[in-house]
Amino acid sequence: MKALRAFWFRPEMRRKMKFQREADPEWAQQVAQRPGCEGLFSCLQCGTCSGTCPLSIYMDFAPRRIIGLVREGFREDALGCQTIWLCASCYACAVHCPRQIRITDVMYSLKREALQYKLYPRRFPIPVLAQEFYGIVSDRGRSSEFWLVLRMALHSNPLQLLTLIGTGWRLFRTGRLSLHKEQIEHVKELQAELAGRRGT
Amino acid sequence: MRTGVYVCHCGTNIAGTIDVHALIGYAGSLPGVALAREYKYMCSDPGQELIRQDICDYKLDRVVVAACSPHLHEKTFRQAVEQAGLNPFYCHMVNLREHDSWVHADKPAATEKAMDLVRAAVRRVKWHVPLERRQVPVHAEVLVVGGGIAGIDAALTLANAGKHVYLVEREPTIGGHMAQFDKTFPTLDCAACILTPKMTAVKAHRNITLWTYSEVRQVEGYVGNYSVTVRRKPRYVIEKLCVGCLECIQACVYKQAKVPDPFNLGLSKRKPVYIPFPQAVPQVVAIDPETCIEFKSGKCKKTCVEVCAERNAIDFKQQAEIQTIQVGAIILATGFDVFDGARIPYYGYGLYPNVYTALEIERLVNASGPTGGEVVLRDGRKPASVGIVHCVGSRDLHTNRYCSRVCCMYSLKLAHLIKEKTGADVYNFYIDIRAPGKAFEEFYNRVAEEGVVFVRGKAADVYPAGNGDGRLIVQAEDTLLGMIRKIPVDMVVLATGLEPRADANDVRRLFNIGCSGDGFFLERHPKLAPVNTFADGIFLAGCCQGPKDIPDTVAQSGAAAAQALALIDAGVVELEPNTAHVLEDACSGCKTCLPLCPYSAISFVEEKKARINEVLCKGCGTCVAACPSGSIRQNLFEDEEIFEEIDGLLASAAVGGGPVRIQGDL
Ligand SMILES: Cc1cc2nc3c(=O)[nH]c(=O)nc-3n(C[C@H](O)[C@H](O)[C@H](O)COP(=O)(O)OP(=O)(O)OC[C@H]3O[C@@H](n4cnc5c(N)ncnc54)[C@H](O)[C@@H]3O)c2cc1C
Ligand code: SF4
Ligand code: SF4
Repeated sequence: MKALRAFWFRPEMRRKMKFQREADPEWAQQVAQRPGCEGLFSCLQCGTCSGTCPLSIYMDFAPRRIIGLVREGFREDALGCQTIWLCASCYACAVHCPRQIRITDVMYSLKREALQYKLYPRRFPIPVLAQEFYGIVSDRGRSSEFWLVLRMALHSNPLQLLTLIGTGWRLFRTGRLSLHKEQIEHVKELQAELAGRRGT
Repeated sequence: MRTGVYVCHCGTNIAGTIDVHALIGYAGSLPGVALAREYKYMCSDPGQELIRQDICDYKLDRVVVAACSPHLHEKTFRQAVEQAGLNPFYCHMVNLREHDSWVHADKPAATEKAMDLVRAAVRRVKWHVPLERRQVPVHAEVLVVGGGIAGIDAALTLANAGKHVYLVEREPTIGGHMAQFDKTFPTLDCAACILTPKMTAVKAHRNITLWTYSEVRQVEGYVGNYSVTVRRKPRYVIEKLCVGCLECIQACVYKQAKVPDPFNLGLSKRKPVYIPFPQAVPQVVAIDPETCIEFKSGKCKKTCVEVCAERNAIDFKQQAEIQTIQVGAIILATGFDVFDGARIPYYGYGLYPNVYTALEIERLVNASGPTGGEVVLRDGRKPASVGIVHCVGSRDLHTNRYCSRVCCMYSLKLAHLIKEKTGADVYNFYIDIRAPGKAFEEFYNRVAEEGVVFVRGKAADVYPAGNGDGRLIVQAEDTLLGMIRKIPVDMVVLATGLEPRADANDVRRLFNIGCSGDGFFLERHPKLAPVNTFADGIFLAGCCQGPKDIPDTVAQSGAAAAQALALIDAGVVELEPNTAHVLEDACSGCKTCLPLCPYSAISFVEEKKARINEVLCKGCGTCVAACPSGSIRQNLFEDEEIFEEIDGLLASAAVGGGPVRIQGDL
């Protein structure tokens, strides 16, 4: 297993230095104007958000630094990090922030943009899951767990499937996992509706 | 009519937006204008001299100065005009800066608006009539409200200058918050050693009448002539007879103190008969009727009265006393309230016994405090580690937006004192350390070198340790390390901020002054009149105007005392003549105006007419607008002046025949 991990997660060296030409201040201004992202520039960098966040102990940047990255216009770091995908949307940070910045909403905004421009971390399961979920639901009107997990694993870390076989088998035997592709009744109408919306 | 028009550039403040050259060209062409000039700074000496010289050389009889707000320089230009021998009220100002150049970006449109404004003023000033300022004498006494360090210092300064001062303090003793501290930053002076001599000096000064346990109830009158009613609450002890031997406290039927002592913030108990602290001034006890058995049941043995038989100073029948005084000036020094830590639930104040506020720690480190100066937890143990949480109730939109200015420094002081007394590990959780005063940064360095730990991050949570050892965990992001820290401590100290007094709004109304957005009393100008208020003759000192430390408080109380002295020593005040008056022939005696006047300046005289007391009238114009028969007129706001100004303003629209342009607030 360790060998497998070492194969897939090669240690990477990251440059800890920023050239000013890498910053995109206009992008920062534009983010600050999106609904929910107001007040970004009043951030004190006090760290209350990271301090209250239940997930920050696993994040690569933690909420405070996300706000810092956005404010300085370091778009690729802000959109390419794992942090925004680890956010559990608990809103603890937004409730505590002394500047009443809606950090969770900023996270959502960044997630949307990361998906749109395909800047999310490659093969990181959460954005893959989000897209696969959306794909299945927009195709069939509801999700089918087996196929969702399968697609997520295939697009993020196929080798992980080996570790899931045992659990999957046990669930299947007890009738907890269906291979059936579920679908709502008027799926054509849904697809037409969604296509219409995408068009506008 | 020979009017002179003077347009100021105000550097680039006006000239950067308005085409001044075109403006004076236009002004010069207006009927009745003898000359129009521009100058870089009209308010400067050469600028004023220009006006004086022109008045003599060109026989000007009206002057229009188009410059900044009249708030700033109306006095200056009226004075210049007066020096040249013209009545000062023949001068009128146009506010080109605040009303035009600062609020518009479109240069041609701004210039056009400037022309409209100048034309309006030229037409208005024609109708001005000569007016005289009235002089009224000033009372030489001063009222100081609040006996904290600010009030004490202001009272002593005035008294030393030979003025009589009434010092009114709400509590049974003077001293304010400073009396609760042990040491003061940054020099670690002993607070009592520097404060108590001043407190006794107040008591001993023959020019100071000290009324503790008293409150101002009513304020009437105007600058130089205030009439103030003070209520002296009963302390059930005759102040003249009590010598402060404190034997009554010993003798009280309560053998043990039972009532939480507010001076020690409830960290110790006191008896119903008490003195707030050993060095209290005056050295007079007080009886708390809420807890005294005699007041509650009438059946006490009254051992206190027995022991005081010789002096007979205790009087259960004492009543409140009302005093009315006449003063020329008033200094407000009512100080601040400490932010209530329980308003931020995630710090656990009131929930976990070992979470304290900084003021409570001030009492613990104080040698005359509830523990005799020992820093111990509620169960008597010495803390081995202490977390100090900065910015509690400051810099937070949920509570107070402003920085409380002293918390960083007193946190450093407490960190030092706690470490000195207990040897504990002390952690400061801070956003920014604000140490900008004299010797403050040096003090910060010293405390850091003593081994106090600084974690840059606002504490996000305080909760009991999971292992049941009774400790608390302070959780914060260490923003310099980029890591989350969870630090176990025995004691948490909340550096609670400074807030306006809970009754600041009532006091503000009583004295007819304003509050700023943060709730503290509003100064007339943040830079140039920091101790004045918008009510003439009422000044501010200390934390009632905003959070500040003791050095700044004392500097401000000196300034307030100097302002009061300047007012009193002039002997008289000049009242502006912009007052209202009743045309008695036209007045129908309907009394509409009487209840409307906010200054109670209108009375009803025998001939069944309204009459306005010019000394009380502040020229607000309420009655002028309200009078149904139009029989109240106001100097400087006569109908002809106003209508002519409006006509002048809109003349361009009328001539052009096009729609009326509205640009900004006119
Ligand atoms: C925990 C803590 C520690 C501090 N440590 C330091 C330090 O080490 N060094 C330093 O320089 N500064 C320190 N400060 C700041 C210091 O407390 C203030 O600068 C100072 O007390 C301001 O004095 P003041 O007279 O304006 O207000 P206060 O001390 O609040 O005094 C106001 C007085 O007015 C009275 N009063 C209020 N309302 C009325 C009313 N309506 N009528 C009559 N009387 C009234 C009150 O009873 C009180 O006696 C500290 C502050 C805190 C909270
Ligand atoms: S809590 Fe708010 S102000 Fe503090 S660092 Fe986070 S976003 Fe900035
Ligand atoms: S909303 Fe997201 S970023 Fe904010 S505290 Fe919760 S998990 Fe952390």
